[in-house]
Amino acid sequence: MPVAVPGVVITGAGLVSALGDRPSQVHGALCDGQTAFGPSVLLADHAGRYQVAEIRDFAPRNYFGQRNLRPLDRTGQLAAAGAELALADAGWPLEAREKQEVGLVIGTTFCSVRTIGEFDRRAMREGPGYASPLDFANTVINAAAGQVAIWHRLRGLNSTISSGAVSGLHAIGYAAQMIRSGRAATLLAGGAEELCFESFLGFLRTNLLCGFGDAETARPFDRRRSGCILGEGAGFLVLEAEEAARARGAKVIGRIGGFGAAYDSRQAMQEIGGANALAHAIGRALEADGPADVGAVMTSGSGHATLDAREAAAIRGALGSRVSNLPVTSIKGHLGETQGAGGALQTILMLESLRAKKLPAVGGLEQPDAGFGLDFVTGSPRPVAATAALVTAVAREGNACALVVSAC
Amino acid sequence: MDSRTRVVVTGIGAVTSIGIGREPFWRHLLDGQSGIGKVESFDTSRYQVHVGGEVKAFAPEPYVTRLSPSQMGRGSQLAIAAARLALADSALDVGSLDPIRVGVSVGTTSGEPEWIERFNDRELAGERDRIGDEFLNRYPCHVLAAHVASELGFRGVNTVIPTACAAGNYALAHALDTIRSGDADIMLAGGSDAFSRITYTGFARLGAIAPERCQPFDKNRKGMIPGEGAAVLIIEPLERAARRGARIYAELAGYGLSCDASHMTAPQGDGAVRAMRSALQDAGLTADDISYVSAHGTGTPANDRVEAMAVKQAFGDRKVPISSIKSMLGHTMGAASAIEAAACALAVWDDQIPPTINLEQLDPECDLDCVPGRSRRIPVEAAMNNAYAFGGNNASVIFRKCR
Repeated sequence: MPVAVPGVVITGAGLVSALGDRPSQVHGALCDGQTAFGPSVLLADHAGRYQVAEIRDFAPRNYFGQRNLRPLDRTGQLAAAGAELALADAGWPLEAREKQEVGLVIGTTFCSVRTIGEFDRRAMREGPGYASPLDFANTVINAAAGQVAIWHRLRGLNSTISSGAVSGLHAIGYAAQMIRSGRAATLLAGGAEELCFESFLGFLRTNLLCGFGDAETARPFDRRRSGCILGEGAGFLVLEAEEAARARGAKVIGRIGGFGAAYDSRQAMQEIGGANALAHAIGRALEADGPADVGAVMTSGSGHATLDAREAAAIRGALGSRVSNLPVTSIKGHLGETQGAGGALQTILMLESLRAKKLPAVGGLEQPDAGFGLDFVTGSPRPVAATAALVTAVAREGNACALVVSAC
Repeated sequence: MDSRTRVVVTGIGAVTSIGIGREPFWRHLLDGQSGIGKVESFDTSRYQVHVGGEVKAFAPEPYVTRLSPSQMGRGSQLAIAAARLALADSALDVGSLDPIRVGVSVGTTSGEPEWIERFNDRELAGERDRIGDEFLNRYPCHVLAAHVASELGFRGVNTVIPTACAAGNYALAHALDTIRSGDADIMLAGGSDAFSRITYTGFARLGAIAPERCQPFDKNRKGMIPGEGAAVLIIEPLERAARRGARIYAELAGYGLSCDASHMTAPQGDGAVRAMRSALQDAGLTADDISYVSAHGTGTPANDRVEAMAVKQAFGDRKVPISSIKSMLGHTMGAASAIEAAACALAVWDDQIPPTINLEQLDPECDLDCVPGRSRRIPVEAAMNNAYAFGGNNASVIFRKCR
């Protein structure tokens, strides 16, 4: 007898972003065409004239009251806040989490390269005896996962996924697989990344940032795209086995469908044509549900010359003639490149778009690259009647993921 | 493929301070050889401790052939070497594989720490202008799996699971599920960590590093010893392995994961018990079926005491043989549980278990059968690999004889 595979439902969503900390609020801002871009306070003079998408007024006390925040660095605080909001939205109070194991999967590129960098610099500057033991605990890349588990009493499986800018989406796909295989009934899944000097300098020196002239901004899929604007944030979904969610009387807001992941070599990533892992991932994600029901695509387009083109090529290649009436959008022209958080924010805001039946336009996109052959949402939001959508993500290191999400 | 698909280990590659390649690694492990020596990869004169478990005999050139070894960090070099050794050991005909159906899953604690260390050296020397694109291209930990896949031409599911010192087990667990869900035919799964100044500094600051030897479960144990290394296991469905007549080391029978959710660095014990029990249940076994436990066994006073307590809770009155190969290799961080998984698979295959060396006076609080000094030849029907990590992470993986 085949064992029934549990359906995976979404019972809550939470995020902290540069455009707000409620999915409906951030969705509204996107639809209004707001962007989070501006000079950095966090990086002070390190950012120079470059714009960033930072969470300017992040006030952890709003989420955590008077608890001791010292053990959490910025990544830990962003993650704990996003997790708090998602758990509250799903109706998983602390007492329930004491009785039943809830697990956690976080996608992140660096966790906190700020903490890691500072820890080492202090030891090198002042001598190893002056290194901070408290900070040492946060130098591991699963520090945010560990801290969030402690903060919210999450005693189930505790995983961190690092696959570059697709990490957040990968984490959601990984978590859904854990539920389908019966290894967990409830998982918080998403991603987190802070903006810091170290990652900013990395992006700057790798020529990934767009310039700071008057017309220069993040323009995903635009003919004039010249790079991204670096951002930060955290976002989590509460995923549950469908039966368990129904049994506890949870409000079901959505559902996770198929998922696919694949990889292209560094050599392949240099070219627009040729091997494309995302096309394979999309095919895999659509195997379960079939493409007919997917009514929109939320991409990871950030303004990168090659990556945006490869992502568009994969969507066109995998969906063929169906792309002609399939609206395509991106949030990175509003919220910037939030790295490990990106895929999670994309999924949450796609779900919100399906629920609100309104798809925001691609920020900064004025002159779509005609060669892409996709129906990008430009200028103003587009009504969307479908209940399911595709979320895609590519990373410059070669990872690609695709996920089907639907609203209930 | 479904949730009951049987999955086996058909190749083992290990890069360790006591041997590179499956055969020398296993022979020296059974011989009780130590890989601990004076740290050479950075200057320890400002530290109060000076020993580590570096892989001094390692040169990347024989393994990193398609990519350039100078364009990547040591963590990637170690991982690629382990992957190539594992592939050769598996006798897979790589050319006949569909690249999109072969995935890579790598665990790590620090990824490529040398590139943030170099970043910091430049920053502290007032040379920020000299920080170039190498930092972002070579530092983030996801490069470990990316480099392995790019070097070998594999295009399937590719991820790094940086769950610190339990990471190797997490990577193996992910490989098992990825094959069972039908997302890959073959997985290369393991862990890699290069010797790191940051890790050394942190453990030294905690006073956790032993001055000379690592002595798990000894009454006079003085701490852990940081090390480095990598191991990769070739994981595939039993049916496929049998069809190609592969040598099968062991069946990857199941796993359990949990989180203490109470302290970042101090183990609590209850989470470890939950992970062991959940692994047993997943594998369809009871504690009595386990012939050998590979301990996390770091040699710190707190870890070994709490671990012994947890093992006693999970195994009851029965004194299951349990040893810590960290007594020989030191603590290789994210690679540790992958290297220990290799040892478990080999124990199941070879019916021998490696010893805990440097164990002279058993701590009464760890009154287990810790296999002191000498390896042992016993029938090994099933082996449990335990790993615990910063963040309160616990992971147990079970290997059993494939019948």
